Amino acid sequence: MKFKIKIGQKEFDIEILQVGEETKIKVNEKEFLFGEKEERKISHPRIKIPKKHFSREEILAPISGEISEIFVKEGERVKEGQKLFLLSAMKMENEILADKEGRVKKIFVKKGQTVKKDEVLLILE
Amino acid sequence: MKILKFERVESTQKTAKELIKKGEKEWTVILAKEQTKGIGRKGNFWYSPKGGLYFSLVLPKTEIEKIKIIRDLVPFLVSKVIFEEVKEKPFIKFPNDIYLRGRKIGGVMIQNFISKRRQISILGIGINTNVKEFPEDLREKATSLLIEFKKRVSNQKILKKILKEIQKVFETISK
Repeated sequence: MKFKIKIGQKEFDIEILQVGEETKIKVNEKEFLFGEKEERKISHPRIKIPKKHFSREEILAPISGEISEIFVKEGERVKEGQKLFLLSAMKMENEILADKEGRVKKIFVKKGQTVKKDEVLLILE
Repeated sequence: MKILKFERVESTQKTAKELIKKGEKEWTVILAKEQTKGIGRKGNFWYSPKGGLYFSLVLPKTEIEKIKIIRDLVPFLVSKVIFEEVKEKPFIKFPNDIYLRGRKIGGVMIQNFISKRRQISILGIGINTNVKEFPEDLREKATSLLIEFKKRVSNQKILKKILKEIQKVFETISK
């Protein structure tokens, strides 16, 4: 079955066809298929968005050495610039400071422990 | 290079750290006639009465490995300057202590203050130049140039010489 419809100034050529159990409707040569078949699932590539805690900050060992002192405890609030660790390395004393204000979520090292460069010492949130 | 002179401080290292917070920059020298809580490495007490040369230098920001080179070289530079003054070779107990005739005459330390955004290194040097005497418990361990050679030296001259040597080292390692 064919017919024309006019919407405003625009004309549309409509054709309705029965194809098996499905109904095909052509609008200006564009085909639309209707039926009882389940809509085909279209798979989208899954993009994994890493969970990131934007307020979380890992404090890393700037050099390999030994943790001589730990100045904070888990759960403690610290200010920006507050000393967290004393790391003895290459016979130098290195005070590791907090980059920002926050709460000490987790401490991964103990006094006297040897740490490698870039090892996570503490998480601040 | 800017030299800030103080009559008496707890420690020049501590003063340097405080002044950095207030905006002092690299190559600032904190010089004190006397320290009431002078520190050595590992927080050890450094007896610092009037007469000695005690100063801290805020180092330019440099990779930590290069700071280590500075730390390794400074005791030799200090010993060289002492030798030029008294014509007797000091002994270096590597890497921090300088001895003369078996007793401690000077010490060197570096403290680094590190966060992701900043790194500050402060070099501290203490030399027993014109210290007249030491308390009884230190007499066996420490001495001064005045005690050993019975003559006063110019702290100002020694300071300038050491700073010049450190600057030369920086120029070399920065190339």
